Amino acid sequence: MMHFKIPLLSFIFITFIKCVSPQNDFFDEELMLKPLPSNHVYAYFQFTTVWETTKDVTTFQHSHLFPRGLGEIISRHNVDELHLTLTKGLWHYQKWGYPYHDAGPGAEITTWFHKDVKNVDDEWKGLTNALAGLFCASLNFVNPANSVSPEYTFRPTGVVDRPGGVVDSVNSSHLRYSSLPREIVCTENLTPFKKLLPCDSKKGLATLLNSAYIHNTNYHSIGIHFRVICSNAICTKTSLELRQSVSLIYDTVTDVSQDWSIRKFFGMGIRKACPLATLSNIYIDISSNNTNQIYELVPSPSAKIVSLRGGQLNEIAVYDIRSHSSKGIFNIQVLYNTTHTAGLNYPSILYANRYIIGYGQERGSLVTKIYNNYWQTLDIILLESIPWYLPVYLHSVTITCGTKNIIPLAQRYLPGKERKSPYYLEFILRLPPQSVTKFSIEMDYSFLKWQEYPPDANHGFYMGPAIITALLPIARNYTALPLDGSTITSSFNASREGYLVQLRTESLLISLPTPDFSMPYNVICLACTAVALAFGPLHNISTKRLVLKRVEMDWKEKLLSFLMKKIVKPKKKEE
Amino acid sequence: MGLLTDPRAGSGKIIKFLLKWERPLCFFLYISGIVWILLLALPIFNDNTYFSENALLPGLVTKESNLEQTTKQYYTHLINEMKRYPDVMPYAWLAAKLNQLHLDVFTHNFTLIYPFQEQQFTGQNIYGIIRAPRAASTEAIVVSVPFRPIHSIYLDTAPSIALLLAFAKFCRKQKYWAKDIIFLITEHEQLGIQAWLDAYHGVTSGNGGVLISGDLPGRAGSIQTAINLELHSMKITSIDVKIEGLNGRLPNLDLFNLAQNMIAKEGIRQSFQRRFDVKYKNKFKNWWYHFNTLLMMITSQATGIPTGNHGLFHRFGIEAITLEGFEKPGQQSSDGNFYQVGRIVESIVRSLNNLLERFHQSYFFYLLPSTDTYISIGLYIRSLVLIIGGIFVKAFSMWQRLQVSTSTEDKKNIVVKQSKDDGFDIGIITSEILWAHICGVTIATSPFALTYVGKKMDFRTEDSIYFGFVVITILTLIWPFYFRRQMKYKNAALICVIALVELGTVLMCIAMHNFSLALLAAVIYVPYVFILPIMPKQNFTKFHRMLSFGWISLHPFMIASLIIMCYTYVNFSSDSLPLILFRGYRAIKQAFVFSIVDSMIYGNWLYNVTISTMFPIWFLFWNILCSNIL
Repeated sequence: MMHFKIPLLSFIFITFIKCVSPQNDFFDEELMLKPLPSNHVYAYFQFTTVWETTKDVTTFQHSHLFPRGLGEIISRHNVDELHLTLTKGLWHYQKWGYPYHDAGPGAEITTWFHKDVKNVDDEWKGLTNALAGLFCASLNFVNPANSVSPEYTFRPTGVVDRPGGVVDSVNSSHLRYSSLPREIVCTENLTPFKKLLPCDSKKGLATLLNSAYIHNTNYHSIGIHFRVICSNAICTKTSLELRQSVSLIYDTVTDVSQDWSIRKFFGMGIRKACPLATLSNIYIDISSNNTNQIYELVPSPSAKIVSLRGGQLNEIAVYDIRSHSSKGIFNIQVLYNTTHTAGLNYPSILYANRYIIGYGQERGSLVTKIYNNYWQTLDIILLESIPWYLPVYLHSVTITCGTKNIIPLAQRYLPGKERKSPYYLEFILRLPPQSVTKFSIEMDYSFLKWQEYPPDANHGFYMGPAIITALLPIARNYTALPLDGSTITSSFNASREGYLVQLRTESLLISLPTPDFSMPYNVICLACTAVALAFGPLHNISTKRLVLKRVEMDWKEKLLSFLMKKIVKPKKKEE
Repeated sequence: MGLLTDPRAGSGKIIKFLLKWERPLCFFLYISGIVWILLLALPIFNDNTYFSENALLPGLVTKESNLEQTTKQYYTHLINEMKRYPDVMPYAWLAAKLNQLHLDVFTHNFTLIYPFQEQQFTGQNIYGIIRAPRAASTEAIVVSVPFRPIHSIYLDTAPSIALLLAFAKFCRKQKYWAKDIIFLITEHEQLGIQAWLDAYHGVTSGNGGVLISGDLPGRAGSIQTAINLELHSMKITSIDVKIEGLNGRLPNLDLFNLAQNMIAKEGIRQSFQRRFDVKYKNKFKNWWYHFNTLLMMITSQATGIPTGNHGLFHRFGIEAITLEGFEKPGQQSSDGNFYQVGRIVESIVRSLNNLLERFHQSYFFYLLPSTDTYISIGLYIRSLVLIIGGIFVKAFSMWQRLQVSTSTEDKKNIVVKQSKDDGFDIGIITSEILWAHICGVTIATSPFALTYVGKKMDFRTEDSIYFGFVVITILTLIWPFYFRRQMKYKNAALICVIALVELGTVLMCIAMHNFSLALLAAVIYVPYVFILPIMPKQNFTKFHRMLSFGWISLHPFMIASLIIMCYTYVNFSSDSLPLILFRGYRAIKQAFVFSIVDSMIYGNWLYNVTISTMFPIWFLFWNILCSNIL
C-alpha cells in the first residue's frame, strides 16, 4: 500500500508545483511554403522556443521546452548568441530571392560570447567541439586557423548588456565566425536536430522531416539560432529565443505535372499538431496565383492574410493544423490549371557571384562580382575570409565598376599566418546604381606538407563563401523575419526602414599543387620508413661495441640487492 | 671541372672505344631508336588499356535515357531554323529551347581582331547550365557542340546539337547530378571555344588584343571534364574518339578508355584515327596496320593543331575528348540509332559525375596503336633517347678529338704553347652563335613587318608572308657565300659541338611537351647531322659537296614546304602534276599564315619554337658548311 502511495503523492506534489509556478515559455511550429517563379517551391520550417528568463548559470539546470542539451552548452561557454547552419547546395539569390536565413554551403557557425568571457579562443574551441558532438557535424575542425572576428559584418541581433549604456561598444573580439565548406550534411545531422524539439519528430510539423525526402531537394539547410530578446516593449525583462529552422528547395520541373502537395514533398500528410505548441500553422504564399499561373488549394485555407511589406504585396493562405487535423491525416494540395509555366521573375536587387580566374596550380585571382539592380546606390559590407594556404596580396585588390575604380568607404585587413589564422578582409563599398562591381585579389596556391592533404587530395580544397551584408531599401523577394520578431507571423506587414540581408556567395574548389599520392609514392614513403627503421639498429651495431660493465651501486642498493638475494635464494632451495 | 678538362681523360678505355667506333655507334643508336618505335606497334610490346580511376565505375549505372524521339524532333526543328538563316547560328531558337528546359541560359559575345588586317569578326556562344542538386556549384562538366551553318565547308553537326538539347532535357529531370553540367554551343569552330574558355578563366591565351573574349555572365565552378560532340548524321554507324589537343597535349587515358568502352558497350563500332580495330591473322599485316595507326597519331600530334574543339580545353587542366560520329554511306537499312548514341553520352557523363577527384590516376603521356592498347611514356621515350643519345655521342667524340689534338700538340711543342694559334677563338664562336639566334628571333617576329610592307605593295597577307619567307630563305642561303669567311677547323668544330649539344637539348625539351614533334624532327635531322662533312675544305670530295648542298633541304621553311607538297600529292594523287604543284603552293602559303595566326590566337608554339630554335641550329651548321675551313 505504501509503495503505491508514495509515487502517487509525489506525482500530485509535482503537478501542484507546476500549476503554482507555470513555466513561462512557449513553443511555436510553423511551415511556410512559397512557390518561386523558377518553378521551385521554397519550404521553410521554423520551430521557435521562447523562454522568459534571464540567462545565468542556474537557468539551464532545469528546462521545460528549451532543449537542455543545447542549453547546457550555451550556459557552460557563456554564449550570448549562436547561429549554426548546416547546408547542402547553393542558394541562388537571383532565381529564388532572399531566404529566411542566409547560409553558406557546408557548416557555418557564428557566436557572440558574453563580455565576461576571458579566453574567447578556449571557449570557442570548447563550444565547437561540444556542438560537433551534439550535431554529429565536423565542427571540431573549427580552429583559430579558420575563424575570424569580423568587425562590421556581424552585429548582435539580440539584447546585449552594455557597460554604462554605451551604445556603440560592440566588441568584435567576442565574436567568432567560421565556415567549413567541405562539410557534407546528411541524416546524421538531422536526427539530433529533431531531438532538440519538444515533440521530437513524433508529433507536429517535425513528422514531415523525413530524411529520404528532404535530402532529395535542390537545397537544404538546417539552422539553430539562439539569442536573448526583450520580453516587453521597454526591455526590462529578457527572454531566451531559440529558432530551429529547416529550409528546403523543391524542384517541380522534374515531375510530369506541376502540381505539388505536402504528401509529395514529405512523403506523408500531417497527422496532428504538437500538443506542446501554442501555434502550429502552415502558410502558403499565393501571391503568384494570378493571371500567369493559376492554381487552387485543396483543402481551402482557414484564413487569408494580405501582407504589405516594404513595397511588396503578398497574399498568404493560413492553415491552422489543429482545426484541420481533427478529422485525421490531412494533406494540402496545390493543383495547377495550366501546364508547366514559369512565373515572372522580378530579379533580386542585390546578388553576387564569386569565382576563380587563371589556370594552373601556381596562382590565380579571386573575383567577386556584385550586382546592384536598384536605381539608387547601395552600401554593402564585403567580408572575405581566405584560408591561409591561399596567400593573397593586398596591393593587388582592385574594385572596379565598368572602367571606374571604386574606393572603399572603409577597409579592414588582417594578414593570415601559415597554419594559424586566415586572411581577413572587410570592405565597406558604395555600389553605383544599376551596376556590376567587380572585386578582385590575386593569390598564390601554396604547397602543403604531405600530411595536410585531405583524403582524395586531387579533389581540391574548398574556400568558404564571401559574405555581403546590406540593408536593402525595399523588400522585393525578401522573406526574413524582422529583427524584433520571433515567428513567421511577425514577418507579415512588417515594414521597416531597411531589410537586412547577408548574402553568401559560392564556395570555391581550388586545386592546389598536389603530390602524386599514388602507389609509387606510397612505396617510396614505406621504403624510406623501413630504411630509417633499419638504419638505427644497423648503425648502432656496426659503430658501437658491446662491453660488459660492472654495475656500481651505492650502499642502499647494495643493501637492497643483498636482502633480495637472501629472500629469493631460500625460496629456490625449497623448490 | 678537372673531370671535363683533364687532358689525360682522353686516354680512358671507353673514350678510346668511342673515338674508334663513333660513326657506327651513332648510326647504331639511331637505327635502334627507329627499330624500337617500329616494335612498339607490335601487340607484344604494348599493354591493354585499363581503368585506373576506381571512382569512374564505368557502365555500372542503369541507363535510363531514350533520346531517339526527342532528338529527331529537335533535329527537324533545327534544320528548318537553319534553312531560314543559312549563314548564322539560330541564337534565339537555341536560347529559347534551352530556356524552355529551365536551364540557366547565357550568351557570350566575342570579337576577333584579325592580326594582319584591321578586320573584326564577332561571334556568339550560347550555353545553358544545369545546377547540380547535390552540390553547391563547385564542379562542372561541359558538353559542347560546334555549330556549323549549312554552307560550312566542314561536316554538318546539326544532329549533335539536337542530341545535346535532348540530353539536356533528360538531365534536367534527374536528381543525381553532383556536378553542374554546362551545355555549350559554340560558333566559328575553335575560335568560339577558345574565346569561351579564355573568358571562363579570365585569361588571354594568345597574343593580347587578338581574340577579345570579354566576360561570361554565368559560371559553374571548376570544370573537371568536357565532352565535345560532332555527330554528322542521324544514323551513326561508327564513332571516332579524337584526343590530340593543342601543342600535342592529350587527355587522361582513363577518359579515352571510358569513351571507347562505352561506345563498344552500346554496340557501335569504335575507331581511333578513323581506323577500326582490325585483327589480321598475318602477323606482319597486323603489325603494319597498328603501326600505321600509331604513325597517324604521331603525325597529327606533331603538328600541335587540335583535331577538334576538345583540344583547347587541355591547357586549362580540363580533360576533354571529341566523339565524332559517322554514317557508313552505303548503309540505309537501320532506322537511326540515337537511342544508343544518347546512351553512350549518358553513360560517359554519369561516370564523370561519379568522379571524386580530378583525373589524375592514369597516363597523360601515351601513344595509341589501336583503341584498346596503349604505349606508356616509359616505353616510347626510349626510342627518342636512343636517337638523341647519338647526337651527344657525336658531340662528345668531336670534343674529345679536339682535346686529343690539342694535347698531342701540347706534347710536341710545349715551348711553342704560348704562340698565338692555339686554343679557340671565343670571339668568333660566340658571335657566330649569337648572330644565328638573333636571326631566329628576328624571323620569328618578322610577320608583322612583312605584312606591313606587303600591304604597302598591295599584297594579300598570305602572299606577303609567303614571299617574305621565300626572300628570307634565299637570304639565309646566300649569306654565307656572300661573306665567304675563313675559319679554323678547331673553331668550326667547337661551333659544331655546341650546335649538336643544343640540338640534342632542344629535341629533348620538345619531347617533354610534344613527343611526336620531337620524334619526327629527330628522325629527319639526326642522321643528316651525323654525316655532315665538318672538315677542312681541302679534303672535300664531290660527295661531301653534295652532302652539304643537301642540308638546304632541311631548312625549316624548305622542309615544311616539302612535307606539305608530299601531303598534297598523297591527297590529290589523281590530279595532273602542275595542278598538284599549284595546290601545294597554295597550301604552303596558307599553312604559313595559319601557323602564325594559330600562335597568336591559341598560343600554338610550333611556329615560334621551330623558328627560334631549329632555325638557328640549321643556320649554324649551314654557316660552317659554307665557310672556308682551314
